[in-house]
Amino acid sequence: MSLATLTKNWEPMSYGFLDASAKREIRRKMLKAVAVPGCQMPYASREVPMARGWGTGGLQVSLTLMNPSKRVKVIDQGADDSVNAASIRRFLARVSGAPTTLDTLEADLIQSRHRIPEEKLREDQVLVLQVPNPEPLRPVQPNMSIARQMHADADYGRMWLQLYEQIVRSGRVMQGASYPSLVNGRHVMTPSPIPRWDVPKLHMAKHLTILSAGREKRIHAVPPFTRVEPLVFDDVPYKVEDHGGLTCNRSGAKGFFMNEIPQDDGSSTYEISDSEFGVKTIKQAEGERVEFGETWYTDGEMPS
Amino acid sequence: MTAIPIPSEAERRSNQAFDALLTALSRPGSIQRLPQPGEASIIEALLDRECRVFCADPLLMPIVLATGAIVADLPAADHVFAGALQDLDVVNGLDLGSHLYPDDGATLVVRAVLGQGPKLRLTGPGIETTVEVTVGSLPEGFWDLRRQRIRYPMGFDLFLVDGDWVLGMPRSTQVEVL
Repeated sequence: MSLATLTKNWEPMSYGFLDASAKREIRRKMLKAVAVPGCQMPYASREVPMARGWGTGGLQVSLTLMNPSKRVKVIDQGADDSVNAASIRRFLARVSGAPTTLDTLEADLIQSRHRIPEEKLREDQVLVLQVPNPEPLRPVQPNMSIARQMHADADYGRMWLQLYEQIVRSGRVMQGASYPSLVNGRHVMTPSPIPRWDVPKLHMAKHLTILSAGREKRIHAVPPFTRVEPLVFDDVPYKVEDHGGLTCNRSGAKGFFMNEIPQDDGSSTYEISDSEFGVKTIKQAEGERVEFGETWYTDGEMPS
Repeated sequence: MTAIPIPSEAERRSNQAFDALLTALSRPGSIQRLPQPGEASIIEALLDRECRVFCADPLLMPIVLATGAIVADLPAADHVFAGALQDLDVVNGLDLGSHLYPDDGATLVVRAVLGQGPKLRLTGPGIETTVEVTVGSLPEGFWDLRRQRIRYPMGFDLFLVDGDWVLGMPRSTQVEVL
């Protein structure tokens, strides 16, 4: 063994921003996260040039997966053009030389904050979700050591109690986003704050989903074809947001998840949350040829 | 304008090897392609000074040592490179992690022959219904012992390497020998 075999050639910067040891650690943890679906695996969470809580967890996973032939799409609450999404996309492209896209169908890697695209993801696509709080037990058990023990024991009674109390107090489950879901019949996870509308998209999906929390330093995953069941009582069925009948007032798309835009007169109009889907709908209405993928929801209903 | 970053050869290999490992593990039963035959690219993609490694194959030892990984006894190792299995001692000695920390369960990399030998039916996460694979040159009773030892979520994750092919089997996969 000589010194030359132990050293590497000089590079102006590490490819994909993260240094090699950071990538190896995330790789090891991603494999373990896939092996135990829904179980939170601790990882080191390195510094990236972005404040914790703005998608650093997702960013680190994306940087690890990136190579020059992976086409990347970044969305923030469904939109490709928000500041957060645009700057993450630009950063990913700049440090990896990878092409970017806004179209769900063209993307190989989709990093997302709080939404899953309306078009079905394929087997070759990977969805990376940014997670602010990976611990579904936190509202009922703030001590994370005890929460870990509860996960180990599959002791989720308090989650049910929380849902029960919401139903008793308000007549319905009030949990809007990050609806606690049982993965592979064993671990309850928070599917990051995606709306209830999106949770069924994870159930037996074709794509791999990796959820990473940078500030909380945990990674969990939902492999393809894995059961993801929202916690529900037998007599109170799971309900997605009542958006099936709404129409986007900019694109005319109907039956998808909408953003509510309050109006001066107290009423509301709606805009489709998946911005690129809206753009495609507009283009089609203007006579352009656009390709739509199969959508999870048809006519505002998820076929069971 | 900043220059477009170009991955080094090592980075390209590690990235490609990890892609293969991640796809293999998230779709058990599917055969993925490593950038080069053997375990070397797996070692390069995953191991560094933070790892404790048990390596039964003396030919792999220099590659493992070059990563700076700590050479450990079998029960303390988080990555185990067993080469071609002669007996089941390795499987018996693996660290399975704990219910508190399932991620402590070991990653076992074994050389096997894919595409011939006993037929296995796999079910579990990553598999839509069932998938059938044939894996040869593993010792008698390997799959029985694997089933007995894994107490989900405790367990070990298995990669079977045949040349540049790799097949992943996470602890969540149930294996039925047909």
